[in-house]
Amino acid sequence: MKKSFYHYITIGIVVLYLLIPLLGTFLYSFATSWHKTILPEGLTFKWYIELFGDIRFLESLGRSLILSLGATILTLIIMVPAIFSIILYAPKLEKIVQSLVVMTYAMPGIILAVGLIRAYSTSGVSMVLITIGAYFVGILPYMYQGTRNSLRNINAETLMEAAEILGASRYTAFIKVIVPNIMSGILVSSLLSFSILFGEFVLINLLVGGHFETVQIYLYQKLSQSGHIASAIVVCYFILISILSAVMIKMTRQKKETI
Amino acid sequence: MSFLTIEKIKKSFNNETVLHHLNLSIKEGEFVTLLGPSGCGKSTLLRTIAGLIHPDEGTIHIDGKNVTEVKPKDRQVGMVFQSYALFPNMTVQENIEFGLKMKKLDKESIKQNVARVIELVELTGKERSYPRELSGGQQQRVALARSLVTQPKVLLLDEPLSALDAQIRKNLQKQLRSIQQELNMTTILVTHDQEEAMAVSDYIYIMNKGHIAQSGSPHEIYTRPASEFVARFIGNYNVLSRKEISNLFNDDNGYTRDIYAIRPEAFSEAPVKDGYEITGKIQKMTMLGNITRYELEVNNVCFIADHLHKIEEDSQKRETITLYLNRKDVISLT
Repeated sequence: MKKSFYHYITIGIVVLYLLIPLLGTFLYSFATSWHKTILPEGLTFKWYIELFGDIRFLESLGRSLILSLGATILTLIIMVPAIFSIILYAPKLEKIVQSLVVMTYAMPGIILAVGLIRAYSTSGVSMVLITIGAYFVGILPYMYQGTRNSLRNINAETLMEAAEILGASRYTAFIKVIVPNIMSGILVSSLLSFSILFGEFVLINLLVGGHFETVQIYLYQKLSQSGHIASAIVVCYFILISILSAVMIKMTRQKKETI
Repeated sequence: MSFLTIEKIKKSFNNETVLHHLNLSIKEGEFVTLLGPSGCGKSTLLRTIAGLIHPDEGTIHIDGKNVTEVKPKDRQVGMVFQSYALFPNMTVQENIEFGLKMKKLDKESIKQNVARVIELVELTGKERSYPRELSGGQQQRVALARSLVTQPKVLLLDEPLSALDAQIRKNLQKQLRSIQQELNMTTILVTHDQEEAMAVSDYIYIMNKGHIAQSGSPHEIYTRPASEFVARFIGNYNVLSRKEISNLFNDDNGYTRDIYAIRPEAFSEAPVKDGYEITGKIQKMTMLGNITRYELEVNNVCFIADHLHKIEEDSQKRETITLYLNRKDVISLT
């Protein structure tokens, strides 16, 4: 019993450590002013009203969604079949995929951004598209891992063989048999990829900056204008990510139950 | 008339030959077993017949048609896997329908065909269950139904019962055999279990290291093993050298081959005419259910003898036992 008491204390401290900044941000986004007191002097919805009244915020939210969703969907359509084919029919190529996965971690965002600017800025291709391309590569590790694990779990090779012998073409077998069975795994990877891209700042700021204002860039600019509004943005962002995480957790649980 | 003909099939993986120019010929409606230890190439051969592996050399004919270059989906074969390979996202009904939907049959005939095979494999009432809700034996019956419903020309079974409990395995063996006979389905079973092979097959090919070691009816294989490998693989044969044979019988005339085999149940307690009489020291006695196995020693030669279990047996007190053996039960091997 004594032992668990210490456990609670430690966990409590860690939770406090993690929660206090969030709580502070949360309160600050509702505070009329909060300078010399322990708690805010008054509470107000003013900052949220102002935030959602700002067309720039809504537009930037839309851009963020389009950018992250676009890159994620593109990845789903291209990368999942590619990883599937490599794992099943060209396992020797898997080593190359694995080294690509490591490289995406090894490359710091700044260097990637500078490299991309030097390579493409004069090519005439829209830098937004270049960003989507970079995002595509950036989420490779999550999609690769998620797809591979799901395929392992369902013994995809034998399922494909069974479907083929029953008269299905490889394409039909993939769509009708493999995809439904790896769907939950893929969705979890996609949600993870999406939330990572949604919070991405370095690349988008350097590559397109003010030309294509996303939530992160908007937030960055608001930081210098009003701490209250910046806090409100963070709270909104946090709520969105929490919803996504909850969906992910629920999906992984369901998956475990079915196995 | 041969229904399935395999000629000079050769296959190598990474410079290692797994199938050495094999020839097989299977009659329509025959239940054939490919029997061998793991790594002997039996599964590779089966997968080659299914079209999942392309042979380096040789041809495969099914029902008079050369299918060597035909894709698995167009070969009209059915296959049941050791791991069942049921589609987890589909119900029993949907799993079985799959092959017929691929053939683009109309709804009504799909319904009738599915109902028929579900009844055949005794799974009535389980149509709406998902594979994960069924036991291993039931899942394998779904897999069998799924293969049978497309009315394949050849049914291929890749160790379908290996993952099941002994009792369920025995029951399914019987069911498999009776369904096969009812439908007169040409069937090829791959297994490493010699008892299973003996129990269900019309004809057995014993494989070893990519070669066919021996082929014949279960009776022929069991009573006349052609080589030491077959004798050791298919049962508890006593495999003895020429020296051991002459020591055992105190008789060396006529035994000129290097190696001989004697079935453990060939020794009898009742005298046989013109046979050998052997009195051996009992080293160990084991009760194996319906048979009693003696491990005996005569002139420094050890061998085993099996007897049907008798209730009044009191051999535990005995130290020696006298047994008789017919001369023709000593089989020479190559």
